[in-house]
Amino acid sequence: MTAPVEQPPSTRLAVAQRVPLWRDVVVLKWFTQVSLLAVVLAALWLFVGQAGNNLRAKDITIGFDFIDRPVDIQLSEGIDTLPNSGGRALWVGMVNTLRVASVGIVFSTILGIFVALSRLSNNWMLRKVGAMWVESLRNVPLLVQIIFYSSILATLPRTSFLDPTAAAGPLNQNQGPIHNWLHISNKGVSLPRVFIADGFYQWAIVILLGAIAAHFVRKKRLKQHDDTGRETSPILWAAGTLAIFGFVGLFIHPVFSFVGPIMGGIASLIDSLTIPMTQAVISIVAVLLALRWIRKFRTDRRSGSGHLNLSDDDWFRMIFAGLASALVIVVIYKWTGLSSWLLNSGQDLFRLAETKFNVDGAARPFDAMRPDVLKPGNFANYGKNGLTMTRGFAAVFFGVTFYHSAHIGEIVRGGILSVPKGQVEAASAVGLNRAQSLRRVILPQAFRISLPPLGNQYLSLTKNTSLAIAVGYSDIVQVGQTIYNQTGKALPVMSVWMLFYLACSLTISVVVNFFNMRLKLVER
Amino acid sequence: MTEIQSSAGVPVIAAPPQEPHLPPKEWLKKNLFSNVGNTLITIMTSVVILSLANGLLGFAFGSERQWNAVAVNSRLYMSFAYPEAQYNRIWFSFATLLVLAGLSMAIWRGGTRMPFARLAKSAYSFGVGLAIMVWLAPLSTSGTVKWEIAAGGLLLAGFIFNRIAAQDEERSLSSLTLLVGTLASIIATLWFIPYGRHSFIGDRIPQVVSEPGTVAFSTKLPWTIMLFVLVGAYYLGIVLRDRLPERRTRSVLMGFWLISPIFLIYLVLRDPAFTMNHVLYTDIPLVLGFLVVGSLILYALTKPSLGEIGRIIAMLILLAGFGSFLTPMRMIIRIFLIALGLFSLAAPTFSGDKSTRRRYSSIWSGFIVIAGWLITAVNTPSTVEVPGDLFFGGATLTLIVAFFTVILSYPLGVLLALARTSNMPIFRLLATTFIEFVRGVPLITILIFFSVMLPLFLPEGMRLPEVTSVTIGYALFSAAYVAENIRGGLQSVTRGQHEAAEAVGMSTSQKTVFIILPQALRMSIPPMVGHTIGTLKETSLLYIIGLFDLLYVGRSVIPNQTAFIGSTRENLLFVSVLYWVISYSMSKASQRIEKRVGLGER
Amino acid sequence: MNETDNTITTTRSGRDLSDAPDIIVCKGVSKWYGDFQALEKISATIKEQEVVVVLGPSGSGKSTWIRCINRLEHHQEGDIIVDGVELTNDMRNIEKIRSEVGMVFQQFNLFPHLSVRDNVTLAPIWVRKKPKAEAIEQANELLELVGIPEQADKFPGQLSGGQQQRVAIARALAMEPRIMLFDEPTSALDPEMIKEVLDVMKDLARSGMTMMVVTHEMGFAKEVADRIIFMEEGQIVEVGTPEHFFTNPTEDRTKLFLSQIL
Ligand SMILES: Nc1ncnc2c1ncn2[C@@H]1O[C@H](COP(=O)(O)OP(=O)(O)OP(=O)(O)O)[C@@H](O)[C@H]1O
Ligand SMILES: [Mg+2]
Repeated sequence: MTAPVEQPPSTRLAVAQRVPLWRDVVVLKWFTQVSLLAVVLAALWLFVGQAGNNLRAKDITIGFDFIDRPVDIQLSEGIDTLPNSGGRALWVGMVNTLRVASVGIVFSTILGIFVALSRLSNNWMLRKVGAMWVESLRNVPLLVQIIFYSSILATLPRTSFLDPTAAAGPLNQNQGPIHNWLHISNKGVSLPRVFIADGFYQWAIVILLGAIAAHFVRKKRLKQHDDTGRETSPILWAAGTLAIFGFVGLFIHPVFSFVGPIMGGIASLIDSLTIPMTQAVISIVAVLLALRWIRKFRTDRRSGSGHLNLSDDDWFRMIFAGLASALVIVVIYKWTGLSSWLLNSGQDLFRLAETKFNVDGAARPFDAMRPDVLKPGNFANYGKNGLTMTRGFAAVFFGVTFYHSAHIGEIVRGGILSVPKGQVEAASAVGLNRAQSLRRVILPQAFRISLPPLGNQYLSLTKNTSLAIAVGYSDIVQVGQTIYNQTGKALPVMSVWMLFYLACSLTISVVVNFFNMRLKLVER
Repeated sequence: MTEIQSSAGVPVIAAPPQEPHLPPKEWLKKNLFSNVGNTLITIMTSVVILSLANGLLGFAFGSERQWNAVAVNSRLYMSFAYPEAQYNRIWFSFATLLVLAGLSMAIWRGGTRMPFARLAKSAYSFGVGLAIMVWLAPLSTSGTVKWEIAAGGLLLAGFIFNRIAAQDEERSLSSLTLLVGTLASIIATLWFIPYGRHSFIGDRIPQVVSEPGTVAFSTKLPWTIMLFVLVGAYYLGIVLRDRLPERRTRSVLMGFWLISPIFLIYLVLRDPAFTMNHVLYTDIPLVLGFLVVGSLILYALTKPSLGEIGRIIAMLILLAGFGSFLTPMRMIIRIFLIALGLFSLAAPTFSGDKSTRRRYSSIWSGFIVIAGWLITAVNTPSTVEVPGDLFFGGATLTLIVAFFTVILSYPLGVLLALARTSNMPIFRLLATTFIEFVRGVPLITILIFFSVMLPLFLPEGMRLPEVTSVTIGYALFSAAYVAENIRGGLQSVTRGQHEAAEAVGMSTSQKTVFIILPQALRMSIPPMVGHTIGTLKETSLLYIIGLFDLLYVGRSVIPNQTAFIGSTRENLLFVSVLYWVISYSMSKASQRIEKRVGLGER
Repeated sequence: MNETDNTITTTRSGRDLSDAPDIIVCKGVSKWYGDFQALEKISATIKEQEVVVVLGPSGSGKSTWIRCINRLEHHQEGDIIVDGVELTNDMRNIEKIRSEVGMVFQQFNLFPHLSVRDNVTLAPIWVRKKPKAEAIEQANELLELVGIPEQADKFPGQLSGGQQQRVAIARALAMEPRIMLFDEPTSALDPEMIKEVLDVMKDLARSGMTMMVVTHEMGFAKEVADRIIFMEEGQIVEVGTPEHFFTNPTEDRTKLFLSQIL
C-alpha cells in the first residue's frame, strides 16, 4: 500500500480553532456573491447614469405623460381605431394582440391535433401529407411566412369580388353580395357580427349566478352517480343549467340594475380615503406579509424537538423578505404619486362599473349589425361595424396558426407515441374499443406528457404575434412604435411592452402549471 | 406495428412506422386501401394534393411570374453591395471553408454507403414525381417536353441502378460520390445556360444595368475551381489520414474550424487600404506586454503550494481591472486587466506540474492574441467605399449575425445555467431574473430596444454600428434559451457524480470543469442544434429593424426596382426555399449524426 | 453510552491497536434533515489501521454518519476530527480531509465520460498536482492491484458492476488516502461479483489501511473487522469485537437485529 504510515505526533487532536476569514468557505461564498452583485449594480448604475446624461443632452424626457396626451394615430383595426390618447391607443393594441393570440392558440391546437393524428394514421398518403405539412412549415421563418400570406392576400381585388356590380365600376362603395351581408376584398373579409350592448353587464351577473348554480348541479349529479352507479351526465346538466340561466337572463337582467349604486358607494368610499392612510395601510400589509413569511419559514425549519436549523441560504431568504418589505415602504412613502394613482384608479374602476350598470332598463345585452364599408380606400373604416378579418389580422393569424400547428403536431405525436404499447394492449384486453381506449387511456396520458411543451408553444405563439408589425396589423408593438416615433418616448413605451408580455407569459405559465399540478395529483 | 386495426383517421398507436418489405400490391393494400374509409381518405387526399400542386405549379410557372427578378439579383441576395473588385476575398474565404470541409470529410470518414437498390428506388420515385409535376404545370409545349425528358432520364437512371443491384446485391455508392456528382452536374450547367444578368448597386436603391455578362458566365470559373478544391482537399485528407496520428490531426482540424470563421469574416470586411500605424505602435506592444507579464503571473499563480495568497493576488488584479473604470484609460487595457484577474482566479483550479502550468500560460497567450486581434479588428472599421451604411448584406449579413449570435450566446448561456443551478442564492436570483425576463418578452422588442436604446446607454463619443447593437441583442436573447437547454443537461447529471467528484477532493470549479460540464454539454447537444437552427431563422427579424438581410432584399429591395415592380411573391418564395433548404438539411444531418453517435443518451 | 465503551484493547485479528493513535474522533455529533434528526450525539473513536464495520437497519443513519466524516454532509452539532484536522468551514481543512479520506459508493459513481485510466488519474493530476506520467504509472499499478489492468482503456459503461466497483476503489486509492470509507460497496452487485470486490477490500485491510465499512455482508464483518459498531435510529447502540457482537450481544435491539438477518 502506498499510504505513508509515518509516526504520528503525540498531539494529534487539534483543539477547535477559529477559522480565518479568508479561508472560511461560508465567508468566501458570500463574499463572492456580494462582490458580483456589487459589480452588476455598479455596471447598471454606470449605464443608467450615462443614459440619463445622454437623454438630458438630447433634451429627451422620459415619463408616461403620453398616456393621457392626445396622439395622432390611426389603427388598422380594433375596438377603437381613432384613439384619443396614447394610453387608449396602447390599450387597443393590447386587445388586438390578445385577440389574434387567443384565436391563434385555439386554432393551432385544433390543427396541430389533426396533424398529429394524420401523421399517425395508417393511411400512407395521409401520413405523408402530415409530414410534409410539418417539415415545410417549421423550417421556414415565421416572419417570412407572415409576409408571404399578406402579399398573397394583397392580390385579391380591391372591392368585394363577390359583388357582381363591382367588376364593372371602378370603386363601388357600400356594396357587397347578399345585400351587404358579406365583403371579401384585399382589405379583408367582413361579416355581420353580434356585439355586446348596454345591458350586457347586468346579464353577466345572471350568468355568474348561473355558473354557481351549475357548479352545484354538477356536484349533485356526480354524487348521484357515485350513489347509484347510473350514468348521470353531470357536465351536460351543468351546461344545461347555465344555458337556462343565460336564456332567462335575457329577459330579467334589468333586475340587477341595483348593483350600480353599490359600485358607486364603493367608489365614494375609496374617494374618502386620504393618501397617508393608503400609505400606512400598504406599509402595514407589507410588514405583516414579510413577518408572516419569516415566521412560517422558521416554524417550517424547526424540528420536532425544537431544534432550529437554518442554513445560510435560509438566512438570505429571511433577509430578502425583510428587505423587500422595507423597499415597498420606501417606495410608497417616497413616491406619493403611486398612492394617489392607486386610489384614483380604484375609484375610476368602480365609477366605471357604476355607469355600466346604470343603464336604461330596456337595454338589450346583445345587438347585431351588418358590415358597413364606408370608405373602401381606408383600412381603418373597412367593415368597422362588422365582424371583420383584415388582411393584417389574417396574415398574422394564418402565420402563427400554421407555424405553431406544425410544432404542436409534433408535440402531440410525441406524447401519443410515448404512451407504452402495453397500455393499448391492456385497454383492449379489458374490452375497451378503439375509440374508448383512445379517449380514456391514451389521450389522458399523452396529454400529461405533452402539456409542458404545449405551454411553451402557447407562450411563444403569443410572443410571435409581435411580428404583426411587419404587415401593419396594429398590435401593441406596432402601436407603441408609432407612439414613440411621434413622441420620442421610447423607454416608457418599451417598458409598457415588456410589462404586457411578461404579464401574458406569467398568465399562461400559471394556467399551464395549474393543469400540470392537477394532472399530477390525479396521477396519485 | 401493432395488430390493432383502425379505420382511417384514427391513429394506430405504434412505434415509428418501420415498414417490412412487402410486395408492391400488398403494400398498397395495407397502406392505402385497407378498408372503405381508408380508400376514401386516400382518394380525397390525392385529389387535394393534386389540386394543390396544380395551383402551386400554376402560380410558379404562370406566364406573369418574374423569376428573372431572382436570377438577376442573385448577387444582391448573396452579398448585397459588396464591391465587385473585392470578390476574390469572398471566393478565397469560401475556398478555405471548402478545404476544411474536404479534409474533415476524409479524416472523420464522413459519408455513408448507399446500396444501388435504394438509389434505384429514389430515382424512380423522383422520376415519377417529376413527370406528374410537369404534367400538372402550365408549361409551354417545348418546356414540357424538356422536363419530361429529364424525368425520363431519372427513370432510366433508376432502371440502370436496378440492373446493377440485380447483378450484385452488395454494390453500393458512397454518398460523397453522389454529392460531388450532383454538384458537378449543377456546375456544368453554368457553362451552358446563361442564368440571369448582373445587377449592381448604383445609388442607395440598386439598379439593373445592361451589362453583357451573366451571373452564370461570370461565376462558372470560380465555381468550377471550388469543386476541384473540395475534391482535392478530400484526397489530401485521405493521404493525411493514413500518415498522421488520428487524434492529433482531428484536434488540429477542430482548432482550424473554430478560428477560421473569425479570421474569414475579418478577411471579408477588412479595409484593403488599411494603415498599420495604430496597430504597430499601440495595439501590438500592449498585447505583447500583457502576454509576457500575464504569462509570468499565471505561471507563478498556478504553483500548487501557493495557497490563499494566489487568491488574494487574483482579487487585487481584478479590483485593479474594475477600478480602472474610474480613471480614463484605454478600453483594451481594462478588458485585459479584468481577463487577467479572472484567469488568475481560476489558476488554482488548473495548477499542477511544470507542463500543466506552462500549458495554462500558453492558453492565456492564445486568448490574449485572439482577443487583441478581435478588438483591433472592431476598432478599425472597414472603409470599403459603397453608398449606404453597410456594404454587405443579404445572405452574408444573415450568416454573420447568426454566427456571432451563436458564438457569443453559448458561453454566456453556460455561465447563466451554472449560476442558475449553483448553491449561491444571489447568483441564482440574478440568473433566474435575467433568464425569465428575456424569455417572457418577444425577440422583436429586445431588438428594437437594442437598436434604439443601446446608443443612449453608451458613453459619449462611443458609437456602435446598428448591426453590432442588434447582434448584442440577439446574443443576450439567445443566451437565455441556451441557458435553459444547458440547465436541462446539468440537471441530468446525477447527484452521485457531484459526490464522487467531491470525495476525490476536487474543488467546486474543478468538479464543474472536469466532471459536470462535459456530461451536461453532451446531453444538451440535440436541443442546442435545434436552437442554432432557430437562431438562423430568427435572423429574418433584421428585416423589421431595417437592416439589409436576406428577407429585406427579397421583400423591399428587389420589388422596388423599376424592372421588377410587383415581384414580391417570387422573391419571398425564393427566400422561403433558401431558408427551408438550409434549416431542413441542417436538422436532418444533425439527426443522422445524433443517431450514429448516440448523443442525448446516457 | 460513555466514551470508554468505544475504545478497545485487543482485536480479533490479534493486532494490538491499543496504543495506536486515534485517527477519527467523533464527539457528540448530531445532524438534522429539516426537522428529522438523522444522527443523535454520535461519539466514537477509530484508531489508525483499524477496520470498523458499521451495521444497522435501513434508515439508521449509517450513510449519513460516514458521509459526515468526509464532509459530503455537514454535521450541525459536535466535533469530528479526522487525522488531527477538525471539520469546520475552513477551506484548507476541507481540502486536506478530502485527500486524506477516500470514499467508495454503493452506486460506483464512476465518471462515464472518462476512460478507466482517466477516472483514476484525474484527481491525482488536478488535486494532488502530480505530473501526468507519474499519475498514469500509479494508475496502472492500482488497476493491477484491483485485478483489472487490461481494462484501462475502456469506458465505465463497458464494464461489469464488479469491475466498476473495483475501478472506484482504485480511483479512491489513487489519492493515497490514510482512511477509506465504504458505503455498502457490494449492495448494487450481483452475488457472483460480490466476492471479487470483497477480496480487494480484504487485501486492503491486510495492508494496514484504516477502513470504515457500511455493509450487510456478515461474513466480511466476521472475518475482517476489528470492531463492529451497531446503529439504530441515529444512535450508536452497541460497540464490540465481532466475537462479542455475534455471539453474546448485550443490547436487546442488537439481538433483535441479529435474529432478523442471521
Ligand atoms: N437528503 C436527505 N434529506 C432528508 N432526509 C434524509 C436525507 N438523506 C437521508 N435522510 C434520512 O436520514 C435517515 C438516515 O439515512 P441514511 O441514508 O443515513 O440511512 P442508512 O442507515 O444508510 O440506510 P440504508 O441501509 O438504507 O442505506 C433516513 O431516515 C433518511 O430518510
Ligand atoms: Mg445507506
